[in-house]
Amino acid sequence: MKTVYVGMSGGVDSSVSAALLKEQGYHVVGVYMKNWSKNLPGMKCPWAEDLADAKRVAVNLRIDFKVFDFEKEYKQKVVDYMIEEYKKGNTPNPDIMCNQEIKFKLFAETAFEDGADLIATGHYANVEDGKLLKAKDENKDQTYFLYRVTSEVLKRTLFPVGNMLKPEVKKLAEKFGLVNAHKPESMGVCFVGEANMKDFLSEFIDVKPGEIRELETDKKLGYHDGAIFYTIGQRHGLNVGEGLPYYVAKKDMEKNIVYVSKNLNEKNLWTKEIKLKDVFLREEAPKEIEIRVRHRAALIPATFDGDTLHLKNETKRIASGQSVVFYKDNVCLGGGIIE
Amino acid sequence: MIYLDHAAATPVSEKAKKAMEPYFSERFFNPSAAYQASVDVRRDYEAAKDRIAHVIGAKGADIVITAGATESINLAFNAINPGAEVLISSIEHASVFEAAKRFKTKEITVDKNGKILIEDLKKKLDKNTEFISISLVSGELGTIEPIAEVASLVKAERLRRKLAGEETPLYLHCDASQGIGLIEVKVGRLGVDLLTINSAKVYGPKGVGALYVGHNVKLKPLVVGGGQELGLRSGTENVAGVIGFAAAIEEAESHLNGERKRLGLLRNILIKELEKVPNIAFLGNAKNQLVSFVPISVPGVDAERLIFMLENEEIYVSTGAACSASKGIKSRTLTAIGLSDEEIAGSLRITMGHLNTEENIKLAGEKIREAIIAEQTRTAK
Repeated sequence: MKTVYVGMSGGVDSSVSAALLKEQGYHVVGVYMKNWSKNLPGMKCPWAEDLADAKRVAVNLRIDFKVFDFEKEYKQKVVDYMIEEYKKGNTPNPDIMCNQEIKFKLFAETAFEDGADLIATGHYANVEDGKLLKAKDENKDQTYFLYRVTSEVLKRTLFPVGNMLKPEVKKLAEKFGLVNAHKPESMGVCFVGEANMKDFLSEFIDVKPGEIRELETDKKLGYHDGAIFYTIGQRHGLNVGEGLPYYVAKKDMEKNIVYVSKNLNEKNLWTKEIKLKDVFLREEAPKEIEIRVRHRAALIPATFDGDTLHLKNETKRIASGQSVVFYKDNVCLGGGIIE
Repeated sequence: MIYLDHAAATPVSEKAKKAMEPYFSERFFNPSAAYQASVDVRRDYEAAKDRIAHVIGAKGADIVITAGATESINLAFNAINPGAEVLISSIEHASVFEAAKRFKTKEITVDKNGKILIEDLKKKLDKNTEFISISLVSGELGTIEPIAEVASLVKAERLRRKLAGEETPLYLHCDASQGIGLIEVKVGRLGVDLLTINSAKVYGPKGVGALYVGHNVKLKPLVVGGGQELGLRSGTENVAGVIGFAAAIEEAESHLNGERKRLGLLRNILIKELEKVPNIAFLGNAKNQLVSFVPISVPGVDAERLIFMLENEEIYVSTGAACSASKGIKSRTLTAIGLSDEEIAGSLRITMGHLNTEENIKLAGEKIREAIIAEQTRTAK
């Protein structure tokens, strides 16, 4: 009998994953990864409740349950990385970093060392011979977040709900009598919602207010409370001027100036070429590929020359630090980070 | 439902609920206003305080109403100044530990049943000690502490200081959150200067407590404002809460002997069922334990798993301290009585009360036994 360590977050997807594996005859061990436990202003960290939910499910499934404490590593590899990126003026994706460094590296290594043959999570994705494939549920597909996971780990990974639609998973949760069948989904960054990112960053970064200027005229329009909080293309929350909305077109991190423009045709807002760094590919990318610039964003046709993506059609500029993920048909090949 | 966590919370008694009702609506007035309707509410409030105080052998004017035991404890520590030397037992509630942290605190050792060692107290009580805080009943073990004995040591030390012309004060505070309604709690007989009591543990509403303050104690307020509660705890009075507290504590006190006997029988039934579990240990010494407590430990079993298994049967038990092994926090009390990590991880606190009957205790005993044995079998594989 093979032993599978399932990352259990207390949510429906990972709970159903554990239940399915048990049903399939695996020796299942549920693991809660304790990555973060600090409360922050206006944010009560739900880790204790999540842990209890996960353990409750494990008890009801009559499986072993463990807690892996990764707080130190998570802070170093995910949070510190995120803070550093924001300081540079980039908009990083901590979920991708968390999968790369914690869930599919540290958790995997710790589990294998502890006696696991395989690991599993409740992600919506599929694996085949170390290849990462899109989930059956197009709407839930999470391969965007998983693009940097290595083949070696994928070869020993199971995604039990990857071939299911979300409503089927919910139905199974009820069938299995899982207490958290109706628990609302956690969204955004694992521990902070997008709305709270500003509060979160303010805890770690000494942010200074600066000027907002119009790109075309260099005219001062007002003040912002820290250039790191702004993303290229952003329209809301600027509180400058009236009439047509302004968009963030450029940031000068050194001088702490945010440049905005009303001109939707402003070249800074559009791009046909995306230069990448830290490219990670599980297999060689063919000339013609499709790319995704955000979780659930539409696929865009492109070609890749080794460090730059050439898009067929002009697209809205994407903030540096964000990831572009490559696809060929159903396969997620890998991707890179926008320079 | 079979509720076995009476040390954590108790349901508000029908009498208390009924008594409170009018004060949410037709008698909502601020007791400090001048018109007659308010004066009537003031009178009811003061009468309720008298009734609460009477149960512990004091007068209404001797108690300060608070928002619960934690606040009472925090207020009690306001009797002393920063830098003061404090003695507490090593198995106090977190509220005492946290309050004591601000002072120079030493802990009094307890024996394997959680009873404080008087010899250790004698050793640690010196001419600079200003404050001693010991609970009447340990919240995790149910062990009854020898408060009167401590009080006589305090009195002797106070007399010695007086004769020696030393001016350092010495106060004894007792957290009596657990115990009222099952053992007699009288400030005179206990010989305490400060006593914390709590409505939520005696079938009254949550968020109400009181602190008895002896005439020799000079307290500084914790909450300042309009000067209510003799200036020690400002804020418009929680009239409904205090009325409910009074009704509940009186009722509990009046059934003391009967309830103690009844729970004693239930405890025997429960112990008989649980004795059949291999490797089970009953914590504390039954002869010196609140009759509602049956704390157990089964090394090798994860008590938190038992809680989740039993909740499926609508049986509610707890691990005692508000923490658990999986969160990486160990019970201070169970560590202090010398239990190993495994014994701590396998301990459950069962506390009985009004919601228990012979029938449901018997059933609970069987279910708890089955759950433990199921876990023992599962982990043996």
